[in-house]
Amino acid sequence: MKTSMTTVGLTLCLALGAAHAQDKAPDWGDKISEEAFLKAAKESFYLNKPEEFERLNDPSLAICNATHNRPDDAQVKEILGREQAAIVYPKDKALFGDWQKGKKWVEDVHGGRIGYPGFLDADDPHHANGGNCYACHAIDPNFPQAGNMGPPLTNYGKFRPKTEAMIKYTYDKVYNAKASNPCSLMPRYGNPRLLTPEQVADIVAFLLDPASPVNQPPVNAAK
Amino acid sequence: MKTIKRLALSLGLGLGVPAALMIGTTGALANSDEDKFAAYRDALGDENPGEFFIDDGKKFFHEKRGPKNENLEKCDFGLGPGVLKGAYAQLPRYFADTGKVETLEGRILGCMVKLQGFKEEDVLKMHYQNAGEEDSRPSELAAITSYIAAQSNGLKFDVKLEHAAEKNAYEMGKKMFWRRQGWMDLSCADCHANTQGKLLRGVELPDMTAPKTAGKVMTAFPAYVLKDANVRTQWWRNERCVLAMRLPWLKTGSELDAALTLYMSIFASQSDEKIQVPGIKPRA
Ligand code: HEC
Ligand code: HEC
Repeated sequence: MKTSMTTVGLTLCLALGAAHAQDKAPDWGDKISEEAFLKAAKESFYLNKPEEFERLNDPSLAICNATHNRPDDAQVKEILGREQAAIVYPKDKALFGDWQKGKKWVEDVHGGRIGYPGFLDADDPHHANGGNCYACHAIDPNFPQAGNMGPPLTNYGKFRPKTEAMIKYTYDKVYNAKASNPCSLMPRYGNPRLLTPEQVADIVAFLLDPASPVNQPPVNAAK
Repeated sequence: MKTIKRLALSLGLGLGVPAALMIGTTGALANSDEDKFAAYRDALGDENPGEFFIDDGKKFFHEKRGPKNENLEKCDFGLGPGVLKGAYAQLPRYFADTGKVETLEGRILGCMVKLQGFKEEDVLKMHYQNAGEEDSRPSELAAITSYIAAQSNGLKFDVKLEHAAEKNAYEMGKKMFWRRQGWMDLSCADCHANTQGKLLRGVELPDMTAPKTAGKVMTAFPAYVLKDANVRTQWWRNERCVLAMRLPWLKTGSELDAALTLYMSIFASQSDEKIQVPGIKPRA
C-alpha cells in the first residue's frame, strides 16, 4: 500500500511537470468557444456512424482543455468519480492474466483507426486491438524502440510486491489512467475504446510477473 | 521517363517496414532504415519522382476537362484568375467569393466543381482512398496541388492575418492544435509543441510551433513519399496524425483542415525557409 501511494505521488508530479512545460503557450485557442469548435468539427469530419463524433466530445477532457490540465478540486472530484465508475473488471475477477499475451497487446498498434469508406489503413474491428505502449514507455528491455512521454516501466515488478493492491493499482491505471490522475497524458484504454478487461489483465501480468522479460535482465545482444 | 518512374516506385516499396514497428500511422523507422533512405536518395541523384506528378498536374490544370469541358485557368488563388506564381506562398487565405478561408487543395477542389463541373465526391474518392501506406495510386487533386505549389518555389511563406475570417481561422486552428481529443486523449501540441527531448516510440518529434521547424516541414509539402511512391499534400499530413489520434476522418479543405494549416503556416511564415516542392520524405 505504501509503495502504491508513493507511486501515485510520483506519477502526479510527472504529469504536472508536463503540464507546466506546456504553459509557454499563452492560450489553447481559448477565444473559440467549445460550441463554435464543435460546430466547425461537425462540418469538418466525415462520419461513417454518428457515434464517431463522440471521440471529439468527452466530458472529462473538456475540463482538462478548459483548465489547461489544471482542474480545481471540484473538477478533480467530478473526473475521478466518472472515470472510476467507468472501470470494468473481468467476469472472473482475475486481474492478473497471461504475461505472454500481455507482451503482444503492449506492442501492437492495431485498433481504433477510422476513415473514409475504402481507405485501406482503417482498422478491422474484428481483429484484437493493441495498446502501442512503446509510443510513450520503455517496457521490455529487449524491445528496440521506446518513447519517453511516460515513465520507464522496465523492471516495473522487480521492486514492487505483487500484492492485491499493486495488481489493482496497475489494472486501474492501464484500464483508465484518468481514474487516478484526472488529466493524465496517458490514454484511457478500457472498453469501449481499445482494450478488453481480459487484455488489461494480461498486461498487468506482463508488468508484474517476475518471469516476464520486463523484470528480467535484457537478453544479451551478442549472438 | 517511364523507366525512372518505375524505378522510383520499386525503391519506394522496397522501404517497407514491418507494420508492428509503426507508430499508429505515423511511421517510426529504426536508424538502419534512415541509412537506407539516405542510400535511396543518393541512388535517385537529382531525380525527384515527384516531378512527374507535377507534369501531370500541369496537364490536368491546363487541359479542358470535366462535364463542362473547361480548364482551371480562370481559378483565382488569391492573386487574380490564373495567377499561379507566388499564390501558394500566401495560402490559406480568405476568399470573398466563397466567404471562406481556403487551403490550396480546398480552392482547387472548389474550382474543379464550379468551373469544370466535377462532382466533389468523385474528385475526393481517390484522394482519400489512396491515403494509406504504400499506396501509389495517383490523385489528380494532389497532382494539381503539387503543380501550383511549385510555382512558389524559392519564396518564403507569407501567410497573413488581415481579414477577420483569417484571424478567426487562426484562433480555430490554435484550438484544433491544442485541444485534447480522440481516443488517444491527445492534442497535436502534446506531440508537436515543446518537444525538446521528447521521443515517440523512438522517433524525435518536430515542434510545429517553432518557426524554423514549421518552416522546414511546410515548405516541403506536397512531398514525394518514398515508402508510398506517391506525392502527398499538407492535408494528407494532417490526416495521418488525425488518424493516429483516433479521430474521425478530416475532410480536405474543411474549416478545421484550413484552420490547422493556417495556424502552422503562420509559424512557417516567421522563418526564412523557402518553398521547395516536391520535397522528398522517406515515409509518412
Ligand atoms: C501518450 C503516452 C502514453 C501512452 C501511449 C501510454 N502511457 Fe502509460 N503513462 C503515461 C504517463 C504520462 C504516465 C504518468 C502519469 C500517470 O500515471 O497518469 C503513465 C503511467 C503509466 C503507469 C503507472 C506507472 C507507475 O510507476 O505508477 C503504467 C503502469 C502505465 N503507464 C502503463 C501503460 C501501458 C500498459 C500502456 C499501453 C497499454 C501505456 N501506459 C500507454 C503515458 C502513456
Ligand atoms: C502521438 C503523437 C502525435 C500526435 C498527437 C500528432 N502527431 Fe504529428 N507527427 C507525429 C510523428 C511521430 C510524426 C513523424 C515524425 C517523423 O517522421 O519524423 C509526425 C509528423 C507530423 C508532421 C510532418 C512532419 C515532417 O517532418 O514532415 C506534421 C505537419 C504533423 N505531424 C502535424 C500534426 C498535427 C496537425 C497533429 C494534430 C492534428 C499531430 N501532428 C498530432 C506524432 C504525432
